[in-house]
Amino acid sequence: MEHARHVFRIVLVVVVMLTVVLLARGFLVPKTYGMYGPYRFANVAEQRNARTPLYAGAAACAECHADEAAKRAAGAHKTVNCEVCHAPLGAHVKADGSVVAPPIDRSFTLCARCHRKLAGRPARFPQVDLDQHVNAPVEGKVCLQCHDPHSPKP
Amino acid sequence: MSDCHDGCDSSRRDFISFTMRLTGGAVVMVAGASALGSSEAPKPEGEAYDWNEHLWAYLVDTTKCIGCGSCVRACKAENDVPEGFFRTWIERYVVGMEDSHVDSPNGGMDGFAPVQVGFVATKSFFVPKICNHCRATPCTQVCPVGASYRTKDGVVLVDTDSCIGCGYCVQACPYGSRFIHPATHTASKCTWCYHRITKGLKPACVTVCPTQARQFGDLKKEGDPVRVAIEHERVQILQGHLLTEPQCYYTHLDKEVR
Repeated sequence: MEHARHVFRIVLVVVVMLTVVLLARGFLVPKTYGMYGPYRFANVAEQRNARTPLYAGAAACAECHADEAAKRAAGAHKTVNCEVCHAPLGAHVKADGSVVAPPIDRSFTLCARCHRKLAGRPARFPQVDLDQHVNAPVEGKVCLQCHDPHSPKP
Repeated sequence: MSDCHDGCDSSRRDFISFTMRLTGGAVVMVAGASALGSSEAPKPEGEAYDWNEHLWAYLVDTTKCIGCGSCVRACKAENDVPEGFFRTWIERYVVGMEDSHVDSPNGGMDGFAPVQVGFVATKSFFVPKICNHCRATPCTQVCPVGASYRTKDGVVLVDTDSCIGCGYCVQACPYGSRFIHPATHTASKCTWCYHRITKGLKPACVTVCPTQARQFGDLKKEGDPVRVAIEHERVQILQGHLLTEPQCYYTHLDKEVR
């Protein structure tokens, strides 16, 4: 029975090793690991709720500001989302429902980003050659003094 | 007993060592088993959004981009992207017969100023860039800890809890879409605004694009404009020779664009 004792010893060692590994695995491997490939599945739901959307789109703005929305929808800026100039809705209506005045960008820079004449822009897109403008030089001047931002005309 | 003078000790050692290795192998099998054979995608309970019903795709019309940078600013604000890093950006190409010039000052965030080039430029255009959310993406393949994966609805994401910040994925991405976040020291990238698209909104960059150069759609929804365009129009992808199967499609792309 000398041999049986040796075999028992080895089996015991193997069982102890297995137990240790399986216990360690139980603690170290995340609960949802392997539910969708070799990844932590719970992360999908975490990513979904990672943050609250900041931008809401023009339709959400129109819920309260129907007049301005109608004006915009009829004008040349109908494809421009309100939040480009008026800051995102998340900066205007807070999560708890309170309303703060949004920081409206009325700067020359904002207008020039889209409408300053640039070689890369599509030819059909309305662009202003700052030196050829009727009131040139207009660089740095507030465009909104003459142009209506909701329904601009050339 | 005659054959066991000094051979016994070494054969016993061999036996034990063999058994240990066998056990080790068995443990790896047990540990790995759960990760295999799980191709079906479970849906988290109590969620209104079912990722089995969607397959997202992105479409860029380069002839519509005016290089205003609204998308880059919106992305920055929506996702708290750290300064100097970009999840989306705009490149300006100035191309002539002899030479070409590409620039993206601050990712195009503040728009573009006129540029002088030292050759005769014959064409110029803007190209918005973003993570291509590739079907056969190299970035998730190289991750040593399983922190990056492609969701059932086609979005490549990073699990920041698992990410060790080794940066292999940053090197593996042929489009330069990933970076190591300077504060968390984990990989960061475009998520197609996963927190928005799962609530029925469009990604922030698409929401603010004033010329609809950027479009976002669902390939599993019949009649979706993006799906129709990909089905019926001639669309291109970036670096097709790499076989990454990008899910960001382009129309009217120039040969200079990589």
